[in-house]
Amino acid sequence: MNESTPGKPRVKELMKKLTQDYYGDAARAHNEDRFVAYTTAVSPVELFVAHDVIPIYPENHSVMCITKRMTTRLSTAIEKKGYTTHLCAYARSDLGYRELGESPIGGLPDPDFLLACNAQCFTLTKWFEVLSRRYGAPLFVFDTPQYIRNKKARRNIIRYVEAEIYELITALENLTGKKFDYDRLREVLIYSRDACRLYKEFLDLAAHKPSPVNIFDALIHMAIIVYLRGTPQAVQYYQGLVDEIRREKVAQGIGVIPNERFRLYWENLPVWFKFREHANLLASYGAVILTSLYVHSWSYDFDVSDPIRTLAENYTSVFSNVELEERAERALDLFQRYDLNGNIMFLNRSCKAVTFGEHELREILTQRTGIPVLLFESDMGDPRFYSEVQVKTRLEAYFETLERLNV
Amino acid sequence: MENRIVRELSDIANNPYEMARRQRAASGQKIIGSTLADVPEELIHAAGLLPFTILGTNRPIRRASALLPDNACSLSRSDLELVLTYETDLFDGFVLPQVDDTTQHLSDIWRRKIPTSFFECYLIPRQVDRPSARQWLLDETNRLKASLEKFTDRKISNDELHKSIVLYNDNRRLLRKIYDLKRQDGDIIGNRAFFELIKSSMFLPEETHTRELRHLLPQLEKKAPSGANKGLRFVVAGIVWEPPAVMTILDELKINVVGDDLCTGTRHIANDVSTDGDPVAALVERHFKKGPFSPIHNRGNRIQENLVDLVRRYGADGILYLHLKFFESQDYDLPDLKQGMGEEGIPMYVLDTEYQTTHLAQVKTRVQAFAESIRGE
Ligand code: SF4
Ligand code: SF4
Repeated sequence: MNESTPGKPRVKELMKKLTQDYYGDAARAHNEDRFVAYTTAVSPVELFVAHDVIPIYPENHSVMCITKRMTTRLSTAIEKKGYTTHLCAYARSDLGYRELGESPIGGLPDPDFLLACNAQCFTLTKWFEVLSRRYGAPLFVFDTPQYIRNKKARRNIIRYVEAEIYELITALENLTGKKFDYDRLREVLIYSRDACRLYKEFLDLAAHKPSPVNIFDALIHMAIIVYLRGTPQAVQYYQGLVDEIRREKVAQGIGVIPNERFRLYWENLPVWFKFREHANLLASYGAVILTSLYVHSWSYDFDVSDPIRTLAENYTSVFSNVELEERAERALDLFQRYDLNGNIMFLNRSCKAVTFGEHELREILTQRTGIPVLLFESDMGDPRFYSEVQVKTRLEAYFETLERLNV
Repeated sequence: MENRIVRELSDIANNPYEMARRQRAASGQKIIGSTLADVPEELIHAAGLLPFTILGTNRPIRRASALLPDNACSLSRSDLELVLTYETDLFDGFVLPQVDDTTQHLSDIWRRKIPTSFFECYLIPRQVDRPSARQWLLDETNRLKASLEKFTDRKISNDELHKSIVLYNDNRRLLRKIYDLKRQDGDIIGNRAFFELIKSSMFLPEETHTRELRHLLPQLEKKAPSGANKGLRFVVAGIVWEPPAVMTILDELKINVVGDDLCTGTRHIANDVSTDGDPVAALVERHFKKGPFSPIHNRGNRIQENLVDLVRRYGADGILYLHLKFFESQDYDLPDLKQGMGEEGIPMYVLDTEYQTTHLAQVKTRVQAFAESIRGE
């Protein structure tokens, strides 16, 4: 079962290969006269793919720095230049990498163009402004006003974002001196649509009991949907992934942990450098974290009949850009569909965009589910702001509560 | 500086709430509160409502800490505290502008936690370098207009809006004239007094404020430049001049503020609204003429260019940058800005500030040390 069938590599190997190819392409880009654009994880990357501009995600690179435990060192280097420790750990890792040149993958190619989509956060705009000045490369701020629940506002917002997409297309044409190909965009969008659907199907496997996947799996497999959206490889990858899990886990009733008791929701990004340890610790309580809104950020639903419209709608309505009540509804939908009975809410110093509404979110979620919440504050990337003892004690206390309530 | 008008406006700048309550009782007008920055007051005024800028509080933070994490800027926290704890009955409605993550969340929390019959957010474009932003702001401003009309159950006519625009233009023009006098000679009006004139305009009914300024201007014009003040000239940068004692300290040190890029300063009074054509479009046009503001992206290195320009134009000796703690946009700007000013040969000192600051003695020592370093002492 564990050997790969010829022509059908196991997904883990496939991921390795795709990642190598992607970064290999990127590294060669400038020698091959191709253009490199830095972009944000949530952004209409289909336009870059369709225009043969290589999208690079500094955030992804920063995650690698964090999991390799390089962040404190990188951050210290830029603190000396006057940047503060209050900034997002992704930004600090990235700016630190620019300063020291240290990277887990031998570095990133310099950008010819940058795009910051603020549906995700505003931090990225400011971080990319720094990079834009540094490399003398233009920055395109893809502005997505909060997708408030007001019909009129929404119509206007989509009109605005569509206009920005056309502006972006013009900017790309100016960058490359090449006409934009709308047929190609449709093709790319079909790949995106299919990959996103399969990605969502993969995430939704967590609804099974026992769950064959946990959030740790989701976070690992998320990488491909982030940086290979719009390619046939991504479609193939998630098809393989879903098939493999169905075949090897679901069909045989195998769960992530043997005695699954607590099925948990996780709010916010992960504490990247601690996640594996958290998973192990939780397993000892019969607990498994299944999902979060964060991993669902890439479960887009593209309607390819109107590419510009669907790009505008999908990238504007991501969970970090809707009103709090709507964000809560999306979380509640996960509680219901996955039958969750625990809730860990992480207040992430790094990420103001996801964290600042969290106290209110907690209030709504507890009111609506009655499930007690474990709330803790730390940083997703900087161990200097992480207290092992505190987290352990809180977790223990939390599971005692859950057990007492006999959920 | 024992001028009656200056003193009265200063009192209002320091405690506007009693005045606003009296005003509301007397006129029956409803008060619409807005946080910083860029909500078009003309529009609220034309709807027959009283626009009032919410500028935080220096009183203790109690309830806001349970709603916003403590790495949110102290302006947002004290704005929230002000309406949650201290001025709970003052406002009849709110228009909250959004420019960054903090304001976006603040808007959600506010809407949920503060019961009011009118709540609207004003979604300002966070880029101003492409045409799409203009159309968007026009749409959004028209939406705000419609929403105000629904609240007051009456239309805002172009004529009314036009009148409000003329009124606000007059007010801005008078303030700019006084700024010019102050630039000539810091003895004509002090820093704290001048910036309190601006601040009070954000609270008082514009008619009253403008009337006062009309009386004040000739009085100040009569004070011929004495030439006695040979102190340093500063440009002040940031968003707000908080704590207010900062301006007093500059007064004490005989430093004249000759330029600024503050939201409670130049950003509030610069540029008139055109009185030709569609008034809403004119309001939008003014927005795009304003100086740079850290969270709003623009082409080039606008924040630095603008500050350099202010320094050169007004012959300033240095820049005092008021960095509001946890104002993340500033955190990203500052290292490059410091380096840039170094290359331009312009002395700049970054003072970390916060609402609820208590260590004023320290602030004074620092500003003094900076001034001395410029004078080469
Ligand atoms: S972690 Fe949050 S603040 Fe940092 S880049 Fe991502 S969304 Fe932005
Ligand atoms: S961070 Fe800056 S722009 Fe945002 S609310 Fe605070 S002071 Fe205003």
